[in-house]
Amino acid sequence: MDNSDISADSLISVRNLSFSRGNRKIFDDISLDIARGKITAIMGPSGTGKTTLLKLIGGQLFPEQGSIVVDGLDVHQLRRKELFNLRKRIGMLFQSGALLTDINVYDNVAFPLREHTHLTESMIRTLVLMKLQAVGLRGARNLMPNELSGGMARRVALARAIALDPMMILYDEPFTGQDPISMGALVHLIKSLNTTLGLTSIIVSHDVAETSAIADYVYVISDGKIAGQGTPKEIEVSESAWVQQFMKGDPDGPVHFHYPAPNYIEDLLVSSQPTARIAAKQEAIKTDESLNTSGLKNAKGLKKTPSRKHGRSRYRRED
Amino acid sequence: MLHFIQQLGSSTRTGFAKLGRATYFLGHTLTGIVDVAKRPRLLLNQLHSVGVLTFLIITISGLFVGMVLGLQGYNILSDFGSEEALGIMVAASLVRELGPVVTALLFAGRAGSALTAEIGLMKATEQLSGMEMMAVDPVNRIISPRFFAGFLSMPLLAALFSMVGILGGHIVGVGLLGVDDGSYWSQMQANLDFYDDIVNGVIKSIVFGFVTTWIALFEGYDSVPTAEGVSRATTRTVVNSAFAILGLDFILTAMMFGDI
Repeated sequence: MDNSDISADSLISVRNLSFSRGNRKIFDDISLDIARGKITAIMGPSGTGKTTLLKLIGGQLFPEQGSIVVDGLDVHQLRRKELFNLRKRIGMLFQSGALLTDINVYDNVAFPLREHTHLTESMIRTLVLMKLQAVGLRGARNLMPNELSGGMARRVALARAIALDPMMILYDEPFTGQDPISMGALVHLIKSLNTTLGLTSIIVSHDVAETSAIADYVYVISDGKIAGQGTPKEIEVSESAWVQQFMKGDPDGPVHFHYPAPNYIEDLLVSSQPTARIAAKQEAIKTDESLNTSGLKNAKGLKKTPSRKHGRSRYRRED
Repeated sequence: MLHFIQQLGSSTRTGFAKLGRATYFLGHTLTGIVDVAKRPRLLLNQLHSVGVLTFLIITISGLFVGMVLGLQGYNILSDFGSEEALGIMVAASLVRELGPVVTALLFAGRAGSALTAEIGLMKATEQLSGMEMMAVDPVNRIISPRFFAGFLSMPLLAALFSMVGILGGHIVGVGLLGVDDGSYWSQMQANLDFYDDIVNGVIKSIVFGFVTTWIALFEGYDSVPTAEGVSRATTRTVVNSAFAILGLDFILTAMMFGDI
């Protein structure tokens, strides 16, 4: 597929995007399109900058190069006010939910309505109860965020994200750390909201099975590049060994099990203590040769220590 | 040696960069006065948590500081046979120096550290980021009300501290040590100057309140959003506030009273 054409039905088009944190390139000249009205999944191992991509789309971070056009607007050329107007049309579900901890569920969902509309309290009440009903938590409206389970907090955050009837929702790792029941509820919710509200959804995740089940299109990102893309079916039969390893969750493959390290036996022998020597000899006898050497090869896709990224405001540090 | 110079340069650079960020942050915070004017309720809530909740520690500390001043002052003044000057001694030291300075130090420990921890945790739990994505400016919405609350509370708390301290000095000096009640008050009334003493003291407390609240909020906003990062930021708030308060106190005193 040729990415250079901006297709008419894409809500977001990312073109030649590059972004680094410190010396580490998070994105290296990537281009992708998010189709309007569809659920697009962006998958990749931890630390590949999936969340960073969402923050770039939301205009919280500035790219080094390239552009992101959302609904015809170049996010990083917008003035502050225009950017805020665009954000009102984008809902984002954070991994932690990001609920305001000092107010209850009802006020959390009402928060964007009170901030951005001049509706009367009785209308706000109707809207909040409708949104809470949609996520099945109308009965929990008087609870405080610390009284909610992880899955409930995420559903409340989802109700808040759809409070202003956005055109799209960005999901940041919606399935991480959920029990099977709330996972099932979230999968169902994301799918049904997308159809009933006519939304565009972007799911950033590494939960392959759940995400593939509802996604219309999948991008797999690794090492700042797009390693594979297509419908979930196409991805499943991808020829790339890396994509195969990722989708199937094999422990060793193009991504090695071992972080780069000096030779295991030599490492043990550096210590001059006799017990260490004996242990090293025993290890040498039983150690599998492949595990032994793979540690020395380059470990692609492994997480390195993150450093500073370039924030939107000059005085702000994001870590 | 080269390493030392390198480190010195690097930490100077980081320091100035931080100062720059802090200044932008302050500018942004001040623009939030529009939001605060639109929603006075936000300011009232913060006045409660920043100001009212600091009330007790200020009152108790003020009382004890005043009592100690009364005791120490009496011992020295009685050597010169001028116990009746105890009132002006206690009042002048409180209104000019101890009121603003000790209140600011206590304020940084009680309210400042709480502000830093609160903002740091809001950052760590992505609440600030979440607000930004909801098209709500977190600085104007969260930081500004807290800033103005701290700025308004400090002078009031310092005045309270001085007042309670003068009463403490009275309890010890007049009540226990037998200084004449009339001369305690009349000496104070005759010698305490409104502009020289009281206004200057209030100016000090306004400056300290401004700086302490600024430091506390910025450290929280600039913190590394982890458990360790927030704890470090809280420590920095208390340490940096103390330095700023004492350093500024010297500068202000020199400008107000000194001929340096």
